[in-house]
Amino acid sequence: MLSCAAFGSRNRFSTAKSGLKYILANLYSNQKPMFKPYIIFCFLFLLFQSYRFPATAVYNTNNGSISFHSDAPLELITANSKEMRGKLDVDKKTFAFIVKITSFKGFNNPLQMEHFNENYLESDQYPNASFSGKIIEDIDFSKEGNYTLRAKGNLQIHGITQERIIKADIVVKQGTISINSNFTVLLADHNIAIPKVVHEKLASEIKIEVKADLILQ
Amino acid sequence: MSKFLFSFSIALFFFFKAGAQPPGYKNFKLEKDNRPIKINVLYKNKQGYLLAGTDEGLYKFDGEKYTRINFSNPEYHDTVTAIFADNKEKYWIGFKNGRIANLENNRLIYFDPEEGTPKKKITAFLQDKENNIWFSTNGEGIYILTARRFFLFNAADGLKDENVSTLMLAENGDVLAGTDGGIYICHFNNGKKYASVIGPREGLPDYIVTSIIKAGKNSYWIGLEEKGFCLYDHTTKKITVPVVANSWKPGQVNAMLFAQNLLWIATKDSGLYKYNPAAAKMDKASVVNADNNINCLAEDNQGNIWMASLNYGMIRTPGESIKLMDIPSHPVFEHIHVVLCDKVGNTWLNNEWNDLIRIEQKNGLLSEKKMRLNGLNEKTDITSLYQDNYGNIWVGTMGKGIFILDPVTFKYRQFDDNGRFKNAGILSVSGNKDQIFVSSLQGSLMIEPGPGNKDINNQFRVTYYDNKSTGTNYIYSIFEDSKGRLWFATDGLGLTKLELNRFTYYNNKEQVKDDRIYSITEDNNGNIWFSTASAGIYKFDGKTFTNYSLNEGLSNLKISVLKKDKAGNIVIVNKKGLDILNPVTGNISYLSSSQGISMINAEDIGAVTTDTSGNIMVSTMTGILTFASPLNTIQKPTVLIESVQLFLKDLDANAPTTFDHDENNFTFNYTGLYYTEPDKVYYKYKLDGLDSSWVVTTDRSKNFPKLEPGNYTFHIQASLNKNFRNADEATYSFVIKQAFYKTWWFYLVCVLLLGGIFYWYIKRRELNLKNIERRRQETIQFQFEVLRNQVNPHFLFNSFNTLISTIEEEPRIAVEYATELSDFFRNIVTQRDKDTISLKEEIAMLRSYSFLQQKRYGNSLQVNIELTQEQKLENKIPPLTLQLLMENAIKHNAVSKETILTITVTIQEGFLEIKNNINVKISKAEGAGMGLQNIISRYNLLTNKTVKVMNDGKYFTVLLPLLK
Repeated sequence: MLSCAAFGSRNRFSTAKSGLKYILANLYSNQKPMFKPYIIFCFLFLLFQSYRFPATAVYNTNNGSISFHSDAPLELITANSKEMRGKLDVDKKTFAFIVKITSFKGFNNPLQMEHFNENYLESDQYPNASFSGKIIEDIDFSKEGNYTLRAKGNLQIHGITQERIIKADIVVKQGTISINSNFTVLLADHNIAIPKVVHEKLASEIKIEVKADLILQ
Repeated sequence: MSKFLFSFSIALFFFFKAGAQPPGYKNFKLEKDNRPIKINVLYKNKQGYLLAGTDEGLYKFDGEKYTRINFSNPEYHDTVTAIFADNKEKYWIGFKNGRIANLENNRLIYFDPEEGTPKKKITAFLQDKENNIWFSTNGEGIYILTARRFFLFNAADGLKDENVSTLMLAENGDVLAGTDGGIYICHFNNGKKYASVIGPREGLPDYIVTSIIKAGKNSYWIGLEEKGFCLYDHTTKKITVPVVANSWKPGQVNAMLFAQNLLWIATKDSGLYKYNPAAAKMDKASVVNADNNINCLAEDNQGNIWMASLNYGMIRTPGESIKLMDIPSHPVFEHIHVVLCDKVGNTWLNNEWNDLIRIEQKNGLLSEKKMRLNGLNEKTDITSLYQDNYGNIWVGTMGKGIFILDPVTFKYRQFDDNGRFKNAGILSVSGNKDQIFVSSLQGSLMIEPGPGNKDINNQFRVTYYDNKSTGTNYIYSIFEDSKGRLWFATDGLGLTKLELNRFTYYNNKEQVKDDRIYSITEDNNGNIWFSTASAGIYKFDGKTFTNYSLNEGLSNLKISVLKKDKAGNIVIVNKKGLDILNPVTGNISYLSSSQGISMINAEDIGAVTTDTSGNIMVSTMTGILTFASPLNTIQKPTVLIESVQLFLKDLDANAPTTFDHDENNFTFNYTGLYYTEPDKVYYKYKLDGLDSSWVVTTDRSKNFPKLEPGNYTFHIQASLNKNFRNADEATYSFVIKQAFYKTWWFYLVCVLLLGGIFYWYIKRRELNLKNIERRRQETIQFQFEVLRNQVNPHFLFNSFNTLISTIEEEPRIAVEYATELSDFFRNIVTQRDKDTISLKEEIAMLRSYSFLQQKRYGNSLQVNIELTQEQKLENKIPPLTLQLLMENAIKHNAVSKETILTITVTIQEGFLEIKNNINVKISKAEGAGMGLQNIISRYNLLTNKTVKVMNDGKYFTVLLPLLK
């Protein structure tokens, strides 16, 4: 219930496990610092979790980069945010990433940004986009090296959750886990309607690129 | 009555293990560097091609040889673990390392989606009712590829065991996944996933499921790791374990196949088993040339069963369709004249001493009983065996008539109709429920046994047919057709028919080449078929006889018997094997030495019988052959064009079929798929557009070099014999375009161009003619001008005055003067017609003229010609030009001692320069520059360089272009 309130979304993360819930809850708490009792609760939650799973190692980032490309016939729109937060539990192989829609910058013009927030993603109503789930492959994060991994998770954009398998290149080096991933989002999958007028200006497939360096909490 | 002979023979029992070498088995090794390649999976595609997925990549197998299907880099290979073609015939090949490839133009191409591919072994593919492609992995669960993207069905969705080994689409759209934790019933609908399990708690004998195949309506055979197999009904969700699987010993089930009404079970440790669900019986299939680890099974379109074992590659077996029973006591094959399968399934035959042998088969063991009928020895052959409706066996002999034998008590007696047939030479015994037909060398008879004849001692009602009724006494066999008519196969009189007590004789020497008839049968459409001693077989539809002989595809004309099999085919037993003729299509397939059939004694019409299941039994050199026509199979080659090559390079399957004129070397590679006898396939091809005749060949490739432009269609047919009437055909049509220089539009362009050139030439010529005309007129005018000037009274007057004044003082000079004058006029007259003359000649004329003028003006007129000899010879000039210019200069300038006129002729940069100083006369001379204008016009016609005239007030200069 708490996470639901924090999300401000109409869908629950029904498949999120307890560890995942904690990660997400922690993330949202960072986003809304004014909501103090919630932070305290999360802190307690964290203590409780670490008590139960003392070995749990969680990597995290607060400044992951996420950018998107819409390569429509008439217009190329790109925007990016450097405020993606994410957590990765390397023991359970679970993870969660979240980004505030309003944190995207770099549109062609202010009007485009306004349309993006108000008309397409309705960031008032659905302020965040998130991806949380579990890594499919078995991997030992304590070993340095380059890996290509796939994760099965729930991608929530515009309040709509879809199951996705997303591939990522991972570099583990000196205590940092660097993630680089490219994937495609179909607007129709997330109920994002494109008005006919801008049809030629907005692609139905949006290319997303994510780059983040996670370090041990 | 005392004549009845009762005898109990000395019963000799022998026990032997059943299992002669199974016929038709053949193995096809697949090796690399002399080491066997492991075949993991077999797949039959839509056209019937068998594909083998191996540790060294993907192979296709045409029945004889393996062809590797490569990636574009032929060095590359992965271990293939799953093969599937979806309903659009797109191939999905799964590998051990989790990768997936598709097949395009006979090349493997990795499937590389944005989501990446699994890292664990791909075990199976499936296409569901929404056309989603499912693929199972050994460790990552099941992936579902929808039109949009991937989904993963794993533990989080209820598929608790992610080691999936097999997939099966149930009739209601569910997917059954065989896992290490039982059968999971998976639903997938628009991204929503549900799973439920059928495991040991639900009655599954084992956790680990290795294979699932279809058993019946919504029911499936489940292969298990330890506990054998069981039946799963998806409607009731109930598991049934067959009795034979209750204490399963053979070990892990690797694969299963349902064929020939049997469940074939390949095991990891103990070879191949066959389970008969109807009889709930299981036997080990005797497999030659295989190790005990059989990985996979497939059935080809001809009904053969294929298995793959590690060390022996693919192994073909006809399964239950051909069986060979060894005769334990091994009688001399040439002397076996009779074979009978009685109603309880025992086999009866004779040996070289004319003992009667009964072979009983029980629990895989053969037991043999031998008996000697009283009065028979090695010289009195047994010629026929028949079991009547009451179970008694009729034994026809050559010379001792007929014996009647009770097969239970082994009591027998000789048939005795008051001596008439007692010592007859019997040729055949046949019959129906109520009648027995006996043919012999002494005529034929019909016996009508009644219920009382169960006891062999009782008498019979007998009807005789002699040569007055059947035409001859020599009758080989008698056949009763489905309408109750009797057909007699006579020696030398063709067919005789008995219908409603009326005999009809069919001895049509025009249509039937041999009237010695051996055997008669009937097809399902009521046509009578019969075999002759030397001319093959005939079909008789009541009106006409149709011959089937070597040309129609029969393999041998030494034919003993015709029999109709269960599938309705006419089985023709000949010396070398069996020809199986489809009476509707005329298609003939063969059982011959290549399937392990040895010699057949084609003299004996009694050595062929039908067993209790309707299968045909024939005595052969290596045992008793039982042949069950495989049902729902294709007994002819399926022809495929495997590739079309242009200059020996493969064309893409979807490439356009229109080619340029120089793309004219085509090669067609084709295969007639016939897995039973791949080496016996004949091909017939024709290229429409090149020639209209068919060519028969055994080659599997045909090259057509240097094809002319045109429309072509390549036809290829495949057949098991040289009769292609019923053959499968494949075609490839293509067009070779005309060369552009042979097309109509090119001709048109050429014609237009030539026309244009001609037109332009005509126009130019016209212009030239006009020019010439104009020049001539100019010339005439010029000449006229010159003449007018020269005949100008002033010139003459002056000249004459000069002459007169000179005559008295210097007569010699006067003569010279007069000569020059006359030369001058002659030159004018002779040169005037020419367009140009050499500069030298012109200068000579100028000199004459200046001589004349200098006589008048003395030193006041100076002419300087500064030209070299070469310049004079090289260059040309219109005649009288210089003379006219000089004349102009004298005319327009004052010439006196005070005003000396100097005329200079030089060559300056390609021009002839004529320059004189100007001393304008006070009184202007007449003439409005007609002469100069005339010179300019003439030059215009001769050259494109123009004449320049300059007057700077001091000098008057004319520049004439030099003409070569």
